[in-house]
Amino acid sequence: MQFISFIAKNVLRRKVRSALTGVGVAVAIAAVVALLGVSRGFEESSRSMLKDRGVDIVVIRGGLGQQNTARIDESIGQKIAALPEVDKVAPVLIDRVKFQETTVPVPVTGYSPGSFAIENLHILPENGHNLTAGDKDGVMLGAILSRNLGKKVGDKVTIEARPFSVVGVFQGKSMVENGGAVARLIDLQKLMDRVAQVSEFQVVLKGEFKENEDALKRVQDRVKTFTDPSGKPYGLEAQTTEDYVNKSNEVRLSQAMAWMTSAIALIIGAVGMLNTMIMSVLERTQEIGILRAIGWRKIRVMRMILWESFALSLAGAAVGTLAALVLTRALSRLPAANGLVEPSVSPTVIGIGFLMSLLVGLIGGAYPAFRGASLAPTEALRYE
Amino acid sequence: MNDSYYDPSAPSLVRVDRVSRTYPDGGVTALQDVSLEIRRGEYLAIMGPSGSGKSTLLNLLGTLDRPTTGEIYFEEQPLSALRDLDRFRSQKIGFVFQSFYLLPTLTAVENVQIPMFEGPLGASARAKRAAMLLESVNMNHRAKHLPMQLSVGERQRVAIARALANEPQMLLADEPTGNLDSRSGAGVLDLFDQLHRERGMTLVVITHSLEVAERAERITWIRDGRLVEQPADTTHYREHL
Repeated sequence: MQFISFIAKNVLRRKVRSALTGVGVAVAIAAVVALLGVSRGFEESSRSMLKDRGVDIVVIRGGLGQQNTARIDESIGQKIAALPEVDKVAPVLIDRVKFQETTVPVPVTGYSPGSFAIENLHILPENGHNLTAGDKDGVMLGAILSRNLGKKVGDKVTIEARPFSVVGVFQGKSMVENGGAVARLIDLQKLMDRVAQVSEFQVVLKGEFKENEDALKRVQDRVKTFTDPSGKPYGLEAQTTEDYVNKSNEVRLSQAMAWMTSAIALIIGAVGMLNTMIMSVLERTQEIGILRAIGWRKIRVMRMILWESFALSLAGAAVGTLAALVLTRALSRLPAANGLVEPSVSPTVIGIGFLMSLLVGLIGGAYPAFRGASLAPTEALRYE
Repeated sequence: MNDSYYDPSAPSLVRVDRVSRTYPDGGVTALQDVSLEIRRGEYLAIMGPSGSGKSTLLNLLGTLDRPTTGEIYFEEQPLSALRDLDRFRSQKIGFVFQSFYLLPTLTAVENVQIPMFEGPLGASARAKRAAMLLESVNMNHRAKHLPMQLSVGERQRVAIARALANEPQMLLADEPTGNLDSRSGAGVLDLFDQLHRERGMTLVVITHSLEVAERAERITWIRDGRLVEQPADTTHYREHL
């Protein structure tokens, strides 16, 4: 008999209790995997939106929690474009708007027609064209938004009580992008009462300066020195795409929420495990006494109880991961979340889930294992 | 009394030297100034009424407990100097209990393997050795049965096989026939005789049955935590048969 067979027999001795404890862990791990998956998906979506356009640097207002609310003078774009390392600059205004056709706020991005950012969008065949300077009050819908609203090229949509014409439907590489819309910068500025203002500048460096730390540093230093006509600094920051995504308030918020909810789920799972294992040790007090009497060392008794705890946790993790995969897939297809949530249940996220389950097993099993191993054999043998 | 194999000149295996055991919580002195020698290959019975301290003495001999004062020597090594009593117990001592204490979810052959986890044998060697031990107690035909599927006599035979798992030097039995009918009890005592005769096993049996004790080579009497002379009237002990 293998030691692990002995563990399995102990776990299966109380099938219902073990199953219920496993379900508790499975729910906790499903929450961890699903929420981290959603959070990671959002992060990756944000990153791929920029990277696919070849954006190296994003210039933003420093110290703001919510970048969408930033009001940066559009004319600063010319100063950025004049830097020797810079190839292209796209002024961008991002906001969430209300479409009459849906209750869910929709992210809309304003680009200047002809900028590299807008040209990079892939228009679906026979679905109109990219926004041009002549498309006044025109809007491009992401493929998912178009489907959710039931609107196609030539249809009218009402954004913030103002009519817009759908001039194209595009297919981006991220769900966040596909769930949003793109308007001409000037139209969005007027719509949101932010004339001549942008949220950020997306910057592409010249080929020879890409991945060049010194060049990046030079651009960052220069951007910091930009001042308004009165000599007051604009307070701008040039961040790498990676930093921009990692420091993004939305990304950090989604990560924090994912971890916070996961932590609560994990604590509940661990308490369930602790309860089960303490009961198990209490019920088997006499048996543990026998094991100690026939020569089992304390450490082996501890290993037995911890392995039982780990076995339950890992079984729970396997079920929980499967549940999370099903759950996130279903979630991303819900109309309310479609276009907003693109879960990324990667092997890393699954790995974190399994690590968390081991943590649950450790927390739930450590004290009972210590307690079991500390039983005096003579006392334990007398226990009825 | 079985005295055919007792050799008073045999070297000492265990020496109990002025051992006392006090439980401070209840203010109880379970053993008081007990000295005793057990020779290698000896079959010793320790007799006494309930509460006389015989189980305490067995626990001390089996290193399940430590003396409050005094010392116990095993092969002339003081047990108090041993760092790893669990390992010592695993390798040198075999226990047989009145209530068998087999693990209910494991088959007979699996139960016998449990002590071997502390030894050097791999899984297949453990299984092979357990089968051999079951055969030696005539239980190989019940190897795959769970304890609840065995008679009480069969359970005690499996427990004896388990006690022999790591080839101990001394077998300690606490009322080994206490829960058995007379036929099964006799079978277990025959098995002890066989172990003693064929393997030269040192056996210490605790009992309050004179019939069980008389199968041993020597009987030591204990009363109120002290070793005493054999009582003049042992009828009372025969009544427990």
